[in-house]
Amino acid sequence: MARFLAIANRKGGVGKSTIAVMLAHASAAWGKKRVLLVDLDTQCNASLMLIGGERWDKARRAGRTISDYFFDRFDKVAEDESHYVAANVGDVAHPRASPGRVSLLPGSLMLEDVQGELYLKQAKRGSNPDKVAQDVRNRMMRLIKHFGHDFDYVILDCPPGLSFAALAAIDLADQVVVPFRPDYVSQFALDRVALLIERVETADQLAAVPFVDRRYICLPNYVTGKGRERLLIDEIALDHPLLQSRVPLLDSVARAFDWEESKKTMAEKYGDALPHLRALHDEVFGAATWLAKAG
Amino acid sequence: MARTKRFLNGAAKDAFLKQVLAAEPGLDEATRERLALALQSSIALVSLRCHSGSEPASAAGASVETTDTAAAAHEPDVQNTAENTPPATATEGAPFDPYSPNVIVVFRTLGRDAALAELHAIEDIDCLRLLAREQRLGIASDLADAADIRRAIVAAAERRIANRRAAAS
Repeated sequence: MARFLAIANRKGGVGKSTIAVMLAHASAAWGKKRVLLVDLDTQCNASLMLIGGERWDKARRAGRTISDYFFDRFDKVAEDESHYVAANVGDVAHPRASPGRVSLLPGSLMLEDVQGELYLKQAKRGSNPDKVAQDVRNRMMRLIKHFGHDFDYVILDCPPGLSFAALAAIDLADQVVVPFRPDYVSQFALDRVALLIERVETADQLAAVPFVDRRYICLPNYVTGKGRERLLIDEIALDHPLLQSRVPLLDSVARAFDWEESKKTMAEKYGDALPHLRALHDEVFGAATWLAKAG
Repeated sequence: MARTKRFLNGAAKDAFLKQVLAAEPGLDEATRERLALALQSSIALVSLRCHSGSEPASAAGASVETTDTAAAAHEPDVQNTAENTPPATATEGAPFDPYSPNVIVVFRTLGRDAALAELHAIEDIDCLRLLAREQRLGIASDLADAADIRRAIVAAAERRIANRRAAAS
């Protein structure tokens, strides 16, 4: 069964999709893992990074996106979910003999609408709104979980906010990586998402959960090295577990996500960001890491 | 070869302490961080006693004395922008690091007195004002006395902590 890794933060613009795609590429290339990226964000950025606009458009016209999958399979047991998956995506070349590949369940602009429809559909079966919402989340969770049989890692690129899909992904995940930009408002967002992930309601309850037992770990992203960032990261480290890795603000990272048809090596794709990605990969997926230990 | 003396302050002091602790086997990262913070605070408290007692304040203030070899690798990462040129402390000649001590972190881990004690190591009013500005700890602009500024900085830190806590749940 696959390990499920969610990349989540209620705040937008913190680099969730970027980190999700980087980790997917790294795990397939270096870890030789079969990776599925599930794009739960209606912006569909991870999908566009991995298959480009034209192929994504074909996928949505063919009804092969995450919202189609949720809608089609909501009431049925999934039989052939691979129908919805785009295989061997991304523009990193993998040796033919290596099992390492990235696959994608493409994102959809319609996911929020579909969630509304599924809620209404479910509401006809029961009147308690909280229970209806929980049922929708549970069904989504089961549907995502179904992919666990065919992959080593399932990376869940969560949308900002608290949609049913985001909550289902956070609930399902074995571990959650929470990227954040080291700025003033990020600490508020981290505090809130941490409560959600740990299923507690107050800061005191969260503080009672030892770092080693927490299901999430935070990743400082877009780090520029300024002194103010150091202050904030040190402050955040008092309340939340942090990865040692830092992803700096580099042009090479931004450039890496311009979709190109031609396959390339990891070094060609990520340029001077490569050592940072390597460190992040080793920390997240390495044999002795928190993700491996989470089982 | 002659060993020249340097006085460490701010991030360089922090880095030096961490480097020393890193050489100790059996200490994990979290323990090293905690010990470094505790040592910084203790050094600041010693300095505070020196300043308030009959003994003249040393040139080092709250600094850790070490040699160039260890210090050279750990310069503070202050941004030298035109708008934000850090004042050099008269006693040390090194640029002042307005990001150290991290007042919020010291306050939360060691308490108000420790935060105040850390700030006592900074005598220059301009340095205190710069630290307050860079750490986003708002203080009244008409404060002219260093002790008042230090107290205002710590009070601002306390408000920041309360502010975050109120928004957290």
